[in-house]
Amino acid sequence: MNSKSQLFCAWCGIGFLLLFTAGWWFLARFLPPPAPSLDAAEVAAIYQQHTGGIRFGLVLAMIAAALTAPWVAVIAIQLRRIEGNTPALAYTMLVAGAVGVLVLLLPTLLWTTAAFRPERGADLVMLLNDLGWLLFVMTFSPFFIQNLVIGLAILGDKGAEPVFPRWLGYFNIWVAILFVPGGLVTFFKTGPFAWNGLLAFWLPLVVFFIWFLIMFAALLSAIRQQSGTTASSAV
Amino acid sequence: MTSPPPAIQRLPGEAGIWVLVLGDMCVFGLFFGVFTYFQGLNPELYSQSQATLNTHYGAVNTLLLLLSSWLVVVAVDGLREGHNIRAAKFLISAFLCGAGFCVIKVIEYSEKISSGIGITTNEFFMYYYVLTGLHFLHVLIGMAVLIYLAGKTRRELSDKDIQVFESGAIFWHMVDLLWIVIFPLLYLVN
Repeated sequence: MNSKSQLFCAWCGIGFLLLFTAGWWFLARFLPPPAPSLDAAEVAAIYQQHTGGIRFGLVLAMIAAALTAPWVAVIAIQLRRIEGNTPALAYTMLVAGAVGVLVLLLPTLLWTTAAFRPERGADLVMLLNDLGWLLFVMTFSPFFIQNLVIGLAILGDKGAEPVFPRWLGYFNIWVAILFVPGGLVTFFKTGPFAWNGLLAFWLPLVVFFIWFLIMFAALLSAIRQQSGTTASSAV
Repeated sequence: MTSPPPAIQRLPGEAGIWVLVLGDMCVFGLFFGVFTYFQGLNPELYSQSQATLNTHYGAVNTLLLLLSSWLVVVAVDGLREGHNIRAAKFLISAFLCGAGFCVIKVIEYSEKISSGIGITTNEFFMYYYVLTGLHFLHVLIGMAVLIYLAGKTRRELSDKDIQVFESGAIFWHMVDLLWIVIFPLLYLVN
């Protein structure tokens, strides 16, 4: 049944969390992030000392990033159930989510390029490091749109048996707003709004993680509800 | 507020709106905590910078938001008694108060920027721009909600619809409440 493929897609979200944590955090050791206040030589030293771990960890992180594609798709499917024939918000969510996949994917390649020839000029390593981190932390806008339209779609659910609970709609809007401080990292090299800061990085990161778990649980029950209703209508 | 008390105590609005409102207030609480902590480390810088802020703008904006909150209360009260057109007028008035808030904020920002004070000037102004900027975003979202609600009054309203109005009102009150904390924190308290 199609609920099996949907369950697979939902589990891909959990796969992303695990694999990304393993590669990006434990192997590449990108948590906590290298401070944006480091000078070029200090940044280059990180890539020279942990070359192997960074290379291997980022391969895993790259694979993990692609697992968000099925994850985004299954959310879109469930939003489509809410919207019926004119799934404008579901499609918006699908497009924004696809861009989000790239925002997770591309930094792994930029950091990889830095680790590919760590002996090159320190300035160039720093440039690639900057590119990776800015893309990764600052690009909140697709995620903002993604979470906002999930929220709006859930709140617009007029069905007798809503696909998702209404509080989840408000929760998604809250998460959307929380991503906004990421846009501030362009201004700062230190403090809470730098790319390693409490409010621009850590808070959105933790909330992003929790969002995955909560959406996962909600998706499972939505998929279960859907297969229940189709089974009963088939009888 | 003037309607007869319901037989059963109930939470105004729908339960879900409190996820957003309490969650948002927790985050702002964290922001306020971080601000207060760093203010304690460097009180002179903060009080010198604070002295350059125009408290009149902040005070007028406080009044505008308080007024708008009251207008929303009256609007929702009217709706419960079926005065839809009057409620729409009050909601639009509240929206206009929000717009006035935004105009004053933009004037304030442009004065600061034209005198060379930006987000990277110093730590105080970093918080000033970030806190007021994030709050500004909330005002814009709240204004969109008010307009949506004003449009909704044209239809016959069920009890569930009234809950949606209450939820929107709660969000707008939060926007007001956050400003009531931000204003003294940034403009007044040393």
